[in-house]
Amino acid sequence: MASATSRPLEYLEGLPGTTFYKLYQQPSTALAIFRRMLPDLAKCFVMAVLYLKDPLPTADLEIWVNSESKKERDNALSILGRLHILSTTLTGENVRAYMITNPFAASLRQALTGAEDSHSFGVFSQAPEHTLTSIANLDEYARRQWEGVMGYMVGTSALSGQRDTVNLSKGVKQLLQAGHLVEIRGNRVDITKDGFGFVLQDVNTQVWHILILYVESAEAIGMDSVEVLSFLFLLSSLELGSSYEKSHMTPNQLRTLTDLADFGIVYQEHADATRFYPTRLATTLTSDSSALSNPVTGSLTGPAGSSGGSGSGFIIIETNYRLYAYTSSPLQISLISLFTNLKYRFPNLVTGKITRQSVRRAIEMGITADQIISYLLSHAHPQLRKHSAAQSSGKGVPASVLPPTVTDQIRLWQLERDRLRATAGFLFKDFTSLAEYQAPCQYAAEIGVLVWKSDRKRMFFVTRHEQVAAFLRSQKFEKQETRSLGVMDTGKHVTKSRPMAFYTAT
Amino acid sequence: MPRAVRGLLIECDPSIKSMILKYDEERHDYIVEDLDDENHLVIKESQLQNLKVRLDQDLDEKIMQLDESESE
Repeated sequence: MASATSRPLEYLEGLPGTTFYKLYQQPSTALAIFRRMLPDLAKCFVMAVLYLKDPLPTADLEIWVNSESKKERDNALSILGRLHILSTTLTGENVRAYMITNPFAASLRQALTGAEDSHSFGVFSQAPEHTLTSIANLDEYARRQWEGVMGYMVGTSALSGQRDTVNLSKGVKQLLQAGHLVEIRGNRVDITKDGFGFVLQDVNTQVWHILILYVESAEAIGMDSVEVLSFLFLLSSLELGSSYEKSHMTPNQLRTLTDLADFGIVYQEHADATRFYPTRLATTLTSDSSALSNPVTGSLTGPAGSSGGSGSGFIIIETNYRLYAYTSSPLQISLISLFTNLKYRFPNLVTGKITRQSVRRAIEMGITADQIISYLLSHAHPQLRKHSAAQSSGKGVPASVLPPTVTDQIRLWQLERDRLRATAGFLFKDFTSLAEYQAPCQYAAEIGVLVWKSDRKRMFFVTRHEQVAAFLRSQKFEKQETRSLGVMDTGKHVTKSRPMAFYTAT
Repeated sequence: MPRAVRGLLIECDPSIKSMILKYDEERHDYIVEDLDDENHLVIKESQLQNLKVRLDQDLDEKIMQLDESESE
């Protein structure tokens, strides 16, 4: 969950304030941000302040939160500030007060309590349906397209000769390449380190990753990234299983729609159809409940024929590192084989063992231990979950789903590879006195660039040197000025940049 | 006069540090500054890849591994 929200959040935070102003014009965007990007406490704040006529004094808001939860409060307020939702003003009595910024407040109120029809949440298609598209069909379509994209990256097409391979459009391939998820050499597609990390993430995170790449590349193909972004938020607020009109959409939105259909995020019968359906990949984008993403994962990963539902996991791991995966999906098998020595393959089951070699191989390819563990965890078989639930009942602490020996060992195997940690930067040395050393060292710590220091050797290591060097220079001037006042030094300490200081001082 | 030197700060176990020191003795082409504590030193930026490969090779040779046989 945390990883699923962090990437879009990071991206949004990097946008300039004017972009937010444009984005928040759309009620659907305001609602999507509210639903997905905010921690619960931040939601409370927004809801409390939203309908207030006057700004709320900061002290009043702060007493709502217990003093021991100060950290959560500050975190919530900082996120609201970074997303340009909450701003501080001064009231008439000169008291600092919070208020919700305007386009956001108006849009969220409109989203919550309704207003004139602004098409912000899409328009249901009124035309009679000649071919009914069911949710199951949409899931199947989304699964096939998304697995096609993944399969293209991992190169499973060779593995699955009999499967109907999905035809990926040129745009999809270019996007994957532009995002450095794959490298294309001639006819061969090679997955990159980033790509390996990508394929092991959960579907929701993957979709966001792709969409952010898409937004970033939108400018390059002549589309307004703000328009694309707000269209994505619109898509995320649509209803699964309903069809929507395309007639009032802008050319750029139509173009985006066609591109997203390649990924299985929306479905349209053909490019000129008058309506489109959002798939589960789109509608779970900004939903707050992580459980909603499970049915997609389930239908994406589960054994063929299962339509998702509760039992979505298929991997069993024993404490002796043996792994059993009840799947026939070539994609999942090739993902598992990235970090497992597979031994046998049955029609609905593959078995293997996680070994030091197999994990090291994965780590050399750029996969991290945490990625492996989170993949195993998100695909753990219901039996494993049931077992851990039974174990933890009665005890206070919940037992882990995966055997701790296995997860610990995977982490240890990774540590074995990382015998050293390297930080690029600059070593400051040759200070003549302790005092001369201490001031810049303390300054470096204050601006957060200090990595290492030794008082005994009078050396310290920083990641960036510009500010520290400037600090040292400014100190030197001060010293020269005082010294020149006292001893009437000859001009040898004068630096070229500030001769005037010396002469005026004397 | 204080000076600033560009480099990579390496943080590692004492055992790894002594291996790096040994490599440096050959041609003095790794270390910028030995920081005289157990687990830090500054090396040349360009040597990191080379150093990692060499360390991995030597460690693989020298460290005994438990039986990795795939007995099923």
